[in-house]
Amino acid sequence: MSEYLIDRRDMDFTLFDYLGLEDLLELPRYQGYDRETFEIVMAQAQRFAAEKLAPTNEEADHQGCRLEDGKVYLPDSYGDLYKEFCEIGLFAPVHSPEHGGMGLPQALGMALAEMMLTAHPSFMFLPGLTVSAAHLIEAFGTDRDIELYLERMYTGQWTGTMCLTEPQAGSALGELTTTAKEVEGEDYYQIAGNKIFISAGDHQLTENIIHLVLARAEGDAEGIRGVSLFIVPKNRVDADGKVTGPNDVTITGIEEKMGIHASPTCAISFGDNGECQGWLVGERGRGINYMFQMMNEARLVTGLQGVAIGNSAYQAALAYAQERKQGPKVTDRSGEQTSVAIIEHPDVRRNLMTMKAYGEAIRAMLYNSAYLSDHALHNEDEAAKTKAQDMLDLLTPICKAFASDVGFKMTELAMQVLGGYGYIKEYGIEQQMRDVKIASIYEGTNGIQALDLLGRKMRQKGGALFMTWMQDTNEFLIPLAEDEFFGDMAKEVDKGKNVLGEAAFLFQSTGKKDPEYPLLHATPFLRMFGLVESARLLLEQAALARTKLQAIWEEHGVESDDQEARDELSERNDEVLYYENKIKTASFFIYQLLPEARAMLKSIQSEDRSALDIKF
Amino acid sequence: MKILTTVKRVTDPDMKVRIQPDQSGIVTEGVEYKMNSFDEYGVEEAITLKEAHGGEVVVVSIGPGAATKELRTAMAMGADRAILVETDADLDSDAVARVLAEVVGREEPDVIIMGKQAVDSDRSQTPQILGSYLNWPQATFAYKVEIEDGWAVVGREVDGGTATKRIKLPGIISADLRLNEPRYASLPGIMKAKRKPLETLTPDDLGVDIAPKVKVLNYEAPEERGAGEMVDDVDDLINRLKDEARVI
Repeated sequence: MSEYLIDRRDMDFTLFDYLGLEDLLELPRYQGYDRETFEIVMAQAQRFAAEKLAPTNEEADHQGCRLEDGKVYLPDSYGDLYKEFCEIGLFAPVHSPEHGGMGLPQALGMALAEMMLTAHPSFMFLPGLTVSAAHLIEAFGTDRDIELYLERMYTGQWTGTMCLTEPQAGSALGELTTTAKEVEGEDYYQIAGNKIFISAGDHQLTENIIHLVLARAEGDAEGIRGVSLFIVPKNRVDADGKVTGPNDVTITGIEEKMGIHASPTCAISFGDNGECQGWLVGERGRGINYMFQMMNEARLVTGLQGVAIGNSAYQAALAYAQERKQGPKVTDRSGEQTSVAIIEHPDVRRNLMTMKAYGEAIRAMLYNSAYLSDHALHNEDEAAKTKAQDMLDLLTPICKAFASDVGFKMTELAMQVLGGYGYIKEYGIEQQMRDVKIASIYEGTNGIQALDLLGRKMRQKGGALFMTWMQDTNEFLIPLAEDEFFGDMAKEVDKGKNVLGEAAFLFQSTGKKDPEYPLLHATPFLRMFGLVESARLLLEQAALARTKLQAIWEEHGVESDDQEARDELSERNDEVLYYENKIKTASFFIYQLLPEARAMLKSIQSEDRSALDIKF
Repeated sequence: MKILTTVKRVTDPDMKVRIQPDQSGIVTEGVEYKMNSFDEYGVEEAITLKEAHGGEVVVVSIGPGAATKELRTAMAMGADRAILVETDADLDSDAVARVLAEVVGREEPDVIIMGKQAVDSDRSQTPQILGSYLNWPQATFAYKVEIEDGWAVVGREVDGGTATKRIKLPGIISADLRLNEPRYASLPGIMKAKRKPLETLTPDDLGVDIAPKVKVLNYEAPEERGAGEMVDDVDDLINRLKDEARVI
């Protein structure tokens, strides 16, 4: 069985030193918390992940889910696991304390989620979807809905789902055919239709499941503007929340999937007998708008799956490379041909370093997005709040698509490091690769994210979001370009930033006469943005690491140009080693991975439209 | 029933410990700390006993200011209040026992439950020394505890098996690792713990001179373990254990 490995040092650095989690204590929402509380929460979550979640992950994947007599059964381990997970209070760590959540900062929630997603990606669908659905009810539901559902969902007494997709309506949700019919004299509608790909769609862990269903109310417009959102419980309940009987919701199938075997993906039929009751959320025709609020949160969690699983694969590959002995070191001239750990071989080191650099970059990216959410949600200064929301809007598609693609890539590199041992099941890498792949597909495919970035976010507020990002990046890079140590790296990142600007400008001018051309390059553009943002984040972290290093050197009386003394110190001091590695990681990313952005600009500038012109 | 339990903040046993170049101690930079795992069993048992018999659990730590984290964790698990005897000094077992004896004098608990040893120094002395200072009965290495009519019946792990000992309370019980499975501190428990009382004292407040009686000469890392050896079959293994290792 694979071991539970996380990089707690980098998580702590990113959270406490780089983002400054303690600064959030100034926001009224978080007053009364302190760092000690955060650390205790993290320690408990980590212990639960290591002791309870991780040991059941592999077996749950092996056992999978099954459908019998219209009921879905989850792996055997889930019963106890779910109960304990709810008891420890990890179900809704960042949600409203007035309704059963724990009210912790979003940024801390990201770290907690990384710990748990690393341990057991499939299991986390249950709480993940439930709190998303509940949060939507909290934002747009009636007092009755909030009273009836919220606390029960935030504490895991009932779970929730999101029912969007239909066989013919995936990315194009406007084509859905599920209907809602008003019932005279009643506050509910009659729901009828079929939904597919519903994660956590059914199970026997809780006595009820609350489905949030997109449907078209009778008489409403065709297309997306006629779509409304309904709360459809699996079982009907009375005003006290007591289950009174079934609500004509039928599970018609579960999918056989590539990964996340221990999360049931259901086909659900609503109203086969004309008896399915659903309650409208908010106003008619606004279903998609409501769903998008939830989708934006869910997209960050999806990016985080890339962070968690990708980094977990890296940790496994690192441990393996330090143990596995094959072949002599290339510089070994002794003639004895002693085998060394494969981590000594340059090609393996390159793979490991690529994973490390990507892994730390996307962790910083996702934690930062949550930190922005904290300000966007709870900062009382309007300007700061708006700016945080703007940056979050701009970066969300990048967090989702870049991190999920990179997470998958990391599992592939990890498998390469393990070779044949990675391809077999023993080390868990193949499961990680299967489990993380879905992240690039659901919650809006990565192609859709690229369109969102290029078509919507880059143009939002007349391009002001992108301009603000450029300005902030400049403010960081300009003084650093003069820095003796970081100057060259800063200039490289600045070139990357300009490359983005050039591409955006080119799209603007060519897009007018050839609207398909920018769309052809939307995915590469998102990746370019992801690379440049990664480089920026890693360089900021490296600059902070350097400051920390200088303080430690000073304390130990080590001159910053005395390499021998520095090496000696890093040999016996893990803090020094971590900071020095952080700087090397930034350097590797900037010189080895970032240049890809410039190559992409070249391909964009080529004006080659053969992919559009070819007749397949 | 009033139960006193103790927690020590120790270096994370999963981390690689490094010795300072001058052998004066271990490198503390970048080192993670956590609650001594034997104390976790003690805290768990104290809370379980309180749940069964009612009363109060007081948790005590002697250590740096940062040890409030371990005390808060114990309170998040269910202890009612905490006392930190704050000191940055590294106390020997005798000094720890004398500090605790003073705390016991103030608190007058019915029973003391503590870890059998700390996983950093591995001395396993404090419960016994405390017993002698207080002149209280002790039952060490507990794997099972039952309390009835002012007596504790304690199942103990001893060389070659188990033994049962009955002690009159007040008394001292030291916890071994099979005693229980420590609970998680739930998130609501952690929030509640913030509002539970935590009193900070110093050894001076208690009138204890913590000057060490044990002198530490130097620290040395244990020798690296050699590579293992594959034996041919079970017979070979048994012979080698008999003749070479002389353990059976």
